[in-house]
Amino acid sequence: MRRRPLLTALCALAYLFMLGPILLVVAVAFSGGDTIHFPPEGLSLKWFGKALSQHSFTSALGTSVLVATGATLLALLVGVPLALAVQRGRLPGRRVIEALCLSPIVVPELVVGLALYQQLMVGLRVTALGTLMIGHAVLLIPYAVRVTGASLAMADPMLEEAARGLGAGPVTAFFRVTLPVLAPGILSAGLLSFITSFNNVPLSLLLTGPGTTTLPVEMLHYVEFSFDPVVAAVSTLLLALTVAVAVVTERLIGFNKVFGR
Amino acid sequence: MVNPVELDGVTREFGGVTAVQDLDLTVPEGKFTALLGPSGCGKTTTLRMIAGYLAPTRGRILLDGAEATRLPPERRNLGMVFQSYALFPHLTVAKNVAFGLRMRKAGREETRRRVGEALELVGLSHLAERRPRELSGGQQQRVALARAIVIRPSVLLLDEPLSNLDARLRVQMRQELLNVQRETGVTAVLVTHDQDEALELADLMVILRDGRLEQLGHPRDVFPAPASRFVAEFLGYENFLTVPGHGPVTIRPEYVRVLAAGEEPPGGTLLSGTAARVTYRGTDCLVAVRAGDQTVLGTTAAEIRPGDEVRVLLPGDRLIHLPENAPVPATAGDTR
Ligand SMILES: Nc1ncnc2c1ncn2[C@@H]1O[C@H](COP(=O)(O)OP(=O)(O)OP(=O)(O)O)[C@@H](O)[C@H]1O
Ligand SMILES: [Mg+2]
Repeated sequence: MRRRPLLTALCALAYLFMLGPILLVVAVAFSGGDTIHFPPEGLSLKWFGKALSQHSFTSALGTSVLVATGATLLALLVGVPLALAVQRGRLPGRRVIEALCLSPIVVPELVVGLALYQQLMVGLRVTALGTLMIGHAVLLIPYAVRVTGASLAMADPMLEEAARGLGAGPVTAFFRVTLPVLAPGILSAGLLSFITSFNNVPLSLLLTGPGTTTLPVEMLHYVEFSFDPVVAAVSTLLLALTVAVAVVTERLIGFNKVFGR
Repeated sequence: MVNPVELDGVTREFGGVTAVQDLDLTVPEGKFTALLGPSGCGKTTTLRMIAGYLAPTRGRILLDGAEATRLPPERRNLGMVFQSYALFPHLTVAKNVAFGLRMRKAGREETRRRVGEALELVGLSHLAERRPRELSGGQQQRVALARAIVIRPSVLLLDEPLSNLDARLRVQMRQELLNVQRETGVTAVLVTHDQDEALELADLMVILRDGRLEQLGHPRDVFPAPASRFVAEFLGYENFLTVPGHGPVTIRPEYVRVLAAGEEPPGGTLLSGTAARVTYRGTDCLVAVRAGDQTVLGTTAAEIRPGDEVRVLLPGDRLIHLPENAPVPATAGDTR
């Protein structure tokens, strides 16, 4: 450490740069004052109380959880079989399918959103909630395919054959061997999808309507008109949630398996 | 008596490539059969067709006398040991071994007992609760073996099971493999490209060349009498000569005596030449002799230096006659 003062300084700066704003927000959330101001004036939990009692936030939180959960499940339901088919299957045009299901990463979200808005909400009269879920799912499928595919590529394709040879039919072999071996990959794909959906703004912005708003969009609307620490309190709660998810993941399967292997 | 495995005119093509061509093979019960041949000759393809992972393009496969050509692997009751072991990473050693028994709906008590026996047989009882990734290569190999034999398969199939082990362990595991086979009396089919492995383990040696059967028999019958230059080369013969009065022959260098000038020949065919290379081997010297347009490898106890004029003695009873032109299968070799 002593021998590399420049590196140490750079690291400290990087940490400050990344964590500074977050710490500021957290500090402001505990403020006793009435405006977003640093250093906070006094200490209180009143903004948390206000955030939790404000119906627009709690209902947006409910919508966000619902949308993220539904979209994640949808994305896994489509993405995992797609990953299996692309990697293990012999279907023609696998490359095209793979490219197709990765395309939402490339297409601007606003374009996807507008298309969905026109087709689903206006055209087919799907509810805002349904459209949000489908829209987010479209966005999440590439992640699901990629993360699941990566752990599938790592698994020995002979495992299924070994199971078959030992007397398992194709379905049993899938549920007893393929799926358990893929479980950590699927779980990490799910977590990544959930968080991505939960934090999404551009797509949600287009697809939310009165009564159906996701939390990030609601927060965005809120800061347009108000300048009190309620938003900081909400952000702090989100931060706590994210950290909790991370800790649980670490406890359950370990980060090295989710992000490493 | 029914044979555990019978291949009847089995052919397998991949696109334009014929991997196995018109193969007839009967695997004897309770014996160790080795499929031997150079890389790409169709060994794995043959084994995978027996196991049911690949369907033959033509021909029939009989298991225990019953038609099994289209039977899926899970209904063949065979035990397969893969080159990569293919142990289930999410299960403990004991559960890996128990997998086949669970699929057969064996009772809890019976499963426990048989898994215990199988692990004991391969000497791994103390590692029953470990995960595969916590084992060495040799230990994983043993788990794979235990997992395959615990179901009492009608045939044990092994695809180059020892090729991932280092040289010393490989030789040791050979013996253990043989012990397990002898102890359980299971019919075994081993795929290998290592002739020493086949010689040591096999009761029946099946040599494949470009997807076709080249020679077949007990190692003691095949080794001293290779039927073609291909087999001879594969078994490590190095002298391929045309000897006046004998035609094309092969002979192991150990039986060729190199005589220094003045040494009295005891009788046999003699060739004259020049020592080109002399390699000291402790008990004797290996000498490469240029005799006319051929090179003969032989041994000597005498002092011979490169450049010396020597004579080479080929004992008639050690010469192995090779067919003038062994039938060359016009298959995979051309299309590949
Ligand atoms: N799935 C496949 N698709 C196309 N060609 C194949 C396939 N499997 C095998 N082959 C071809 O069939 C031939 C025999 O292959 P096989 O794997 O049976 O050889 P092998 O004797 O097991 O060789 P090795 O000792 O290298 O394992 C080879 O020419 C190979 O390229
Ligand atoms: Mg092979």
